[in-house]
Order: sequence, then C-alpha cells, then structure tokens
Amino acid sequence: MAYSEKVVDHYNNPRNVGSFPKDTPGVGTGLVGAPECGDVMKLQIKVDLQTGVIEDAKFKTFGCGSAIASSSLATEWLKGKTVDEAAKIKNTDIVNELKLPPVKIHCSVLAEDAIKAALADCKEKWLKAGAAAASTT
Amino acid sequence: MDHFEVFGLPRRLAVDTAELQRKFYELSRRYHPDFHQAAPPEEQVRALEASAGLNAAYRTLRDPIARIEYLVRLEEGRDTKEGATVKPKAPPELLEEMFEIQEALAEAKAGGLDEAGRAALVVQRDRLMARLGDEETRLVGPLSQGWDASQPAERQRVLAAMKEALAIRAYLRTVIDDLNDALGESQEGYVTYRRH
Repeated sequence: MAYSEKVVDHYNNPRNVGSFPKDTPGVGTGLVGAPECGDVMKLQIKVDLQTGVIEDAKFKTFGCGSAIASSSLATEWLKGKTVDEAAKIKNTDIVNELKLPPVKIHCSVLAEDAIKAALADCKEKWLKAGAAAASTT
Repeated sequence: MDHFEVFGLPRRLAVDTAELQRKFYELSRRYHPDFHQAAPPEEQVRALEASAGLNAAYRTLRDPIARIEYLVRLEEGRDTKEGATVKPKAPPELLEEMFEIQEALAEAKAGGLDEAGRAALVVQRDRLMARLGDEETRLVGPLSQGWDASQPAERQRVLAAMKEALAIRAYLRTVIDDLNDALGESQEGYVTYRRH
C-alpha cells in the first residue's frame, strides 16, 4: 500500500515518543487497542493544572505505519491546546491531514479514542472539583 | 444470497464439513464455466458469478473461526471487518499486558538478543500460543454451541461474547507474530496474522 508523504514522515520521524510516570500530577493516560488488527496505542497528556493547558504529550504505538502516524500527529496537535479544545479533535481531522485511505480510517479512530481516554483519565484524576486544589497543597 | 444460503444451510455454527465438501463439489460441477460454454452469454455470466460466490462461501464456511467471524459480520449487517458499529471491548488488563510485552520486546530487540533473551521470548511466545489455543477452543466449542442453542432474545449477548473472544484472539495473534518476527522463526501449522 502506498502511504502518503506525511504518514511516511511521521513513521520515520515519530514526534513525542515516550511516556510519563502515570501518577505525575496532571498526567492523563489513554491505552486503547484495535481489535480488527491487534494494534495497541498508549497516549499521554500532561496538563498544567492552573491553566488547563496541555503542556506536553507523549505516545507509544505498536502497530502499522498509519497508527503510528495518527498518534504522532495527535501528540503534536495536543500540545498547547486546552483540555476543552483537545476534546474537539476528530478522527476525520487526522484522516484529512494524513490522507489516510478508507482501510486505514480505523487507525485515526484509534487515535481519537486514545485522546478521549487520556482526557477522561486526566479529569478523573486531577481536574475534578477538589482534586486540583489537593494537588497544589 | 449469503454464504449459508449458497449451501442451503441455516445460520448455525455447527456445520458438517464432510457434507459441506460433498455439496461444494456437486455445486462446483453445476456452475463450472466449461459446462456453460454453449449457453447464451448472460447465462455464462451468471454461472461465473455463482461459481465465484460458491468458492468464497466454501472458503469461509469450511473454517470454523472464519465461519464465526462471518456470522458476526452478517448479524451486524457489515461487509468488512472495519466499521463495526459496536466495538468489541477487549478486557483492559489484556491491553495492558499486550502493551507491556510489546514494550519489553522492543527493548530486547534494541539491546540485541542474547541466548537468555531469546529463551525468555520463546517461553512467552509458547505461553501466548497456549492461550490462543484456549480462546479458539472456546470459540469453536462452547460459544458456537451457545449460538446454535440461543433464543432470539439471547442472541445479542452471545454475539457480544463471540466478538470479545475474537478481539482477544486478534491481540494474541498480533503479539505472537511480533515475537516470531523477533525470533526469526515461524511455528509449524501457524498461519501468520500479519496485516500491515
């Protein structure tokens, strides 16, 4: 299959590969998988608890080139966004940016699921009423 | 016409494969293009299509797991593996475990595999192969029988259980493939799942 230039670029030079310790204040972790193909993807965000801005994002994906490119792109987009803005990222944005063919759309869905899971985990752990206050003490 | 209908079968997972084969040969002869050479062109086209449909149906139904995957798709009204409306949820612990194995494998490969490292990967691979076997036994055994015995009201629950088992199988196979790749060997009788 012919990958687009952008997919190849992200695949050869993935951005933001790595991980944060799960319990670091402000860190939200999303671990998702694609049952169609067995790919697994971990995406983490680190949120500034004062401002609600995502100051850093990292990922590790074991899967095909499109899954790696989708999550790499997602981490680039996440940095600098507020938690609310990040929630608006759609898999179709990723499909358009990377020019993914129809058979690879599920890779972009996986990345969107990972973003949602990371945001939910972050909210659950740090952004609930009281949790933010508690973490600053 | 769906694959079950091609063979005049009900939508059940218990299939007599010897009988399926006999019927396949019989229908193959009936639709074979050679026997329709003198027929009008539209009839020749029909025979060719029937022949292709028959081959696809046979390939799918003779394999008990492919049969289950097909049944699930059929029940959901989908043509392909992609685009499931309801995503099967694999247990979160399984995802964690698969991720950790992949991470350890990537580190082992980066550091160069020595004898002890290889031995550890072989142990892990064999352990996962055993679990894959268990999962497949569960699919073609109790889960298939459960489907055939289910009342309409129970169907969704049985389908969900089959989808979860198929998802677990997919994750296990991917990791086993990656372990075999790293070891530079393949298992006899094991068909690779490589999909990239």
